[in-house]
Amino acid sequence: MFDPEKLIRKGLPKGHFKDLVVRSLLGGTTYFVVIIAALLFGKILIDGAPVLFKAEAPFVDFEFLTSKNQTLHVFDDAQGTRHQLPASEYSAYLAKHEGVPIHNEQTYSYSGGGIAGPIAGTALLTLGSMILALFFGVSAAIYLSEYAKQSPFIHAVRLAILNLAGIPSIVFGLFGFSVFVLAVPVITATPSDRSLLTLPLFIGDYVMSFQGWNSSLMAGCATLACMILPVIITASEESLRAVPQGFRDASLAMGATRWQTIRKCVLPFSLPGILTSSLLAITRVAGETAPIMFTAAVAAKDDLPWQGLKSPFDVLSSQVQALPYHIYTLAARIPSSEFTQRAQYGSVFVFLLLVATLSLGSMILRAKLRAKLKW
Amino acid sequence: MKTITTLFATAAMLTMAGAQTLSIKGSDTLGAKLIPQLAEGFKAAGNKGVKFEIAAEGSTTAFPALANGTAQIGMSSRKIKDDERTFCRTKGVYIKEHGICHDMLVVIVNKNSPLAKLTKDQVAKIFTGQIKDWSEIGGAPGKISIYTRNTSSGTYKDWQKLAMGGRDYPSSSLKMAGNEQIAQEVAKNKNGIGYVGLAYAKTAGTKTLVIDGVEPVAANAKKYVYARLCYLYAPDKPSAEAEAFMKYVESDAGQDIVRKVGFIPAKDL
Amino acid sequence: MPQADSPPTEQPHRFQKRGFSGEKAIKFFFASNAGLTIVILALIIIFLLKEGLGFFPGYQRELQVYRIAGLEFVDISRKNLTAHEQLTSVLNRAYYAEINGKCAHQMRRSQEASALFNAYTDQTGPTRDLVISNSQAEITPNPEMLAALRANFDKQKLKALASLPATPHLTANERRDLIESIRTRAIDSTDDPALVTALAEEFAAAREKQAEPLQAMRATIDTFEAAGSELSSLVSEMTESVTATKEKIQNADILEKDRKTLLAAAASAKDPAEREKLTTEAHASLADKPDVEGPIQVLLERRPDCIKTHAALQQAAAGIGSQLPAALSQPEAARLLKVARNTWPLFIADLAKTHEEINDWKHDTPVPLTTAISSFLTGKDWVTGGEWQDFYGILPLAIGSLMISIVALIIAIPSGIGAAVYVNQFASSREQALVKPVIEFIQAIPSVVLGFIGILVFGTVLRDLSMLDSLQWIPGFPIEERLNIFTAGCLLALMSIPTIFSLAEDAINNVPSAYAEASEALGASRVQTTFRVIIPAAFSGILAAILLGFGRVIGETMVVLLVAGNRIKIPDFTSGLGTFFQPAHTLTGIIAQELGEVPLGSVHYRALFVVGILLFTVVLAINATAHRFVNKMKH
Repeated sequence: MFDPEKLIRKGLPKGHFKDLVVRSLLGGTTYFVVIIAALLFGKILIDGAPVLFKAEAPFVDFEFLTSKNQTLHVFDDAQGTRHQLPASEYSAYLAKHEGVPIHNEQTYSYSGGGIAGPIAGTALLTLGSMILALFFGVSAAIYLSEYAKQSPFIHAVRLAILNLAGIPSIVFGLFGFSVFVLAVPVITATPSDRSLLTLPLFIGDYVMSFQGWNSSLMAGCATLACMILPVIITASEESLRAVPQGFRDASLAMGATRWQTIRKCVLPFSLPGILTSSLLAITRVAGETAPIMFTAAVAAKDDLPWQGLKSPFDVLSSQVQALPYHIYTLAARIPSSEFTQRAQYGSVFVFLLLVATLSLGSMILRAKLRAKLKW
Repeated sequence: MKTITTLFATAAMLTMAGAQTLSIKGSDTLGAKLIPQLAEGFKAAGNKGVKFEIAAEGSTTAFPALANGTAQIGMSSRKIKDDERTFCRTKGVYIKEHGICHDMLVVIVNKNSPLAKLTKDQVAKIFTGQIKDWSEIGGAPGKISIYTRNTSSGTYKDWQKLAMGGRDYPSSSLKMAGNEQIAQEVAKNKNGIGYVGLAYAKTAGTKTLVIDGVEPVAANAKKYVYARLCYLYAPDKPSAEAEAFMKYVESDAGQDIVRKVGFIPAKDL
Repeated sequence: MPQADSPPTEQPHRFQKRGFSGEKAIKFFFASNAGLTIVILALIIIFLLKEGLGFFPGYQRELQVYRIAGLEFVDISRKNLTAHEQLTSVLNRAYYAEINGKCAHQMRRSQEASALFNAYTDQTGPTRDLVISNSQAEITPNPEMLAALRANFDKQKLKALASLPATPHLTANERRDLIESIRTRAIDSTDDPALVTALAEEFAAAREKQAEPLQAMRATIDTFEAAGSELSSLVSEMTESVTATKEKIQNADILEKDRKTLLAAAASAKDPAEREKLTTEAHASLADKPDVEGPIQVLLERRPDCIKTHAALQQAAAGIGSQLPAALSQPEAARLLKVARNTWPLFIADLAKTHEEINDWKHDTPVPLTTAISSFLTGKDWVTGGEWQDFYGILPLAIGSLMISIVALIIAIPSGIGAAVYVNQFASSREQALVKPVIEFIQAIPSVVLGFIGILVFGTVLRDLSMLDSLQWIPGFPIEERLNIFTAGCLLALMSIPTIFSLAEDAINNVPSAYAEASEALGASRVQTTFRVIIPAAFSGILAAILLGFGRVIGETMVVLLVAGNRIKIPDFTSGLGTFFQPAHTLTGIIAQELGEVPLGSVHYRALFVVGILLFTVVLAINATAHRFVNKMKH
């Protein structure tokens, strides 16, 4: 009935025009950003979606997602029909039509087949680094929120977290390269020449040699985990602190130990929050290129990471393809033409779709969480 | 039961560190097109079990990788340097050279350029930055944009030797990651000039220049001034896979692929 | 009972006792995980320093070799040779600009005709090639297929003929004839249409005619060019000898290192026979100390030669300077001539000074470590993998990084903060629900995707825009390279907008609502409240947002690697704002581009780590400042 605010606004007709101009100017910049973003997604959607989706059921072309990356051969057969075949089908075609000439052959690297290798590599890198980062990150957050009192140690930890969060990703690449690729210890019978230090283990010929893990899945995961650690710690601490103090007090008053309190009364309530924010961390890990360029990624690899191995552990010590690095290769190494577009826009579309799903999921979950957990 | 499995797995890890893959590193000129297709041909010829890893970041990357054992074969579009050979030797790797094909460095310009030929001297002057404008050699006025490979490339160094008399590139040159990228940029810039391997000379939007009256086609390889041999390098005691692959590359089937991709088979010259 | 009197022993409660040691272990476990962050940060610093610090002594040694092998000496002469070449180039350009300017009409006609023809061949080329390659006799053409290809070609031909570019300088008749000749052209003809050839000839004739009155100038330029040939051959002779010396010294260095490795291996070998073998090998590889004195003395004996050549060039240049034409009629030619005139005295003064420089040069002056450090920090050249001498100067890279950041921030600050103010102060809750997720989602786009967009779409769009006649008033248009500072800056702006937006919005949100209420109670309008009360109150928070955005931009790698154009050169600032449309290379980009290709432990490898240290320090300093602002806001 009586709204004082309305009264105040009405009392000021003087600056109305100026008000409107400023408001629309600010609104303009805001929507400018939104429109640019929309244009960007639109372009990728228009060029990339047809690679993944098709008109008839089941509407999704799984071939692009599940087949390996190959060279694309483009040629005309004797009837003038244009063929675009990835290398494996191409050799099958040649075997079938032996002696029949083909014309106008052109080849495009990385443009045939699908992107199964990069997807699998990125999945493994993400999985590995998230396991590491969540384990260490959540533990550190528990200490910070549940045990820590003001002390020089805590101050140093907080300073370290703050600084780690700001380090450019390429510096993490340098760090991962010099530490995980070249310096971390391995147990081996034949230490490499460039080993920094070898310690005898007195088991056969085995020594602990500080020679690094070479460029490998392990090294990549460790580098990415270090990069994402501050994000995980900050987010987890926030979730832990959101659990009301009363829960802890009640538990401790009942005679539970601190660890019992954390395990039964704090962690279960903060876990959804931790997992939600770690979804966002996944988008960051999956999207980084610079840290894995020198620590894990390889441009072309025939097999999926788990194929052709002699022991299941070799998957950790072999290099993998990764989606962001694959996109870098597609953007920098091959020309854009009608035959390469499928690979280029298709990969980017899949990548963006993945990232969008993850971040959308995290947004929705967070909204749900807020609605559900109200203390 | 579980412990036994774990024990076995650990033992397996210790004994067989690193799966037998054939890792090939080095030149982009060879690695972007030729070697992947040779690898595909090699597998089609009945070596399905071999697993390839190909990284083509530039010839300079081949030798450290061979020395450190992270690659079994190195690709290079230039001859190995003495200090690189010494470096490998200090790591216990003695390197053997295999010349697999000839390549010609082709000067390309934008398709809309009125230019059709240059002399060797003019090329040197353009790439060392002494000639800065197309009008200086009779073209339409416009500032010349020079596209070169990046410093790790063998082509970059070969070109410096073959065409520029060992002088440095001008700082105004743009360094590109690969042959395809040079062709791509030249196709998009009407004042662009660049050099690419013969296999990349047919990119749409570009045209090749006649140098000192010799057209850069495979038949003229002997007369052409910017011709060079490309190499694969392997340790003198290669792994079985590497040895089989080298044999395949030098076989007729392999050399056929070489020709098809646009290089000149080693024995044609 | 005495027992009852004795005080009860300090027995902890059952709950407390149980798991006491376990509790402590658990606490310790969590604390050590928290400490892991410190360990990681320490490892980063230690390993960057470990790999990086060796750079300066290594670079010092390289510079020392550069001096004792005499490369530095040759570079004194080479500097003048380059100056001479540049001057020749300017004169040549002036000469041709004059001629081309005078026959601009013919040139445009010729260009338009060939542009029209090229547009046609561009479009029909692929289909034409198909027809041609399939109708060669030796592959027994299939008539069906040929017909299909032919039809395809005809279709493309019609399409191409319908979309030919405008030719304002050709008469309507000429254009019609040209199109007609293209239409009736045989498919396998490789000749240019008659008009194209005719116009090219017309242009050539006009050029010849215009060149006649300039014969004197041509002769002057030729004399000047010829005057440099003696210096040129002297420099290339000396180059050969000093490169050989340098190679010898480097090989000796390698052998020396080699010997040390072998000796070290020998020392650690268990088997005596093995040890013996390694030691002999080490002794065998002991290099003879390379003879530096000999070649350098030979080089120094050429001093008089050098001085004489320079003096001759100076004399020739002084004579020629006065013979240049007084003025040229075409504006571009006149400008270039003026440039030449202005640099002429500088060139001659430099030549005059060379005499002293050559005499003062000493091959045995040691290069102090400070020189290595200062030439790294202030060096204008980053030359690696060259035949002559590697230089590691980060100035061009740092300037590139900085200029790209400036472009990005100029765009991102207003839009990020504007959007934050709008969303927080003016937007309805429905608008908020739309804008916030979108901007948050921009943050999630991986940088390599933005780089991909830049290289495949944005760069080309920008260049096409710059070709539009209506936009020629913008400095730097039309742009030369589609990948440049501006392209990269725009994409990085998009990356930093979300950072700036969300932090600035937080800062505005954190202003106590009492401020706004008090302001409105005093009768201020919403806009007044926002700009006079809320923004000043949130100012340090907004500043922090900007700084953190800057930190993000300068540390970004993939976008600049793909889109910045990778030209290692300090941009030419004489072109004013157009400077922002030149390509550049960056601190982050150089690491990403070169780390994969350098031998481990080489000077070049270490140089990249020093760049990493620099980047690390700069970004940390920016972030620390930003956090000081945030803390200021909290109190």
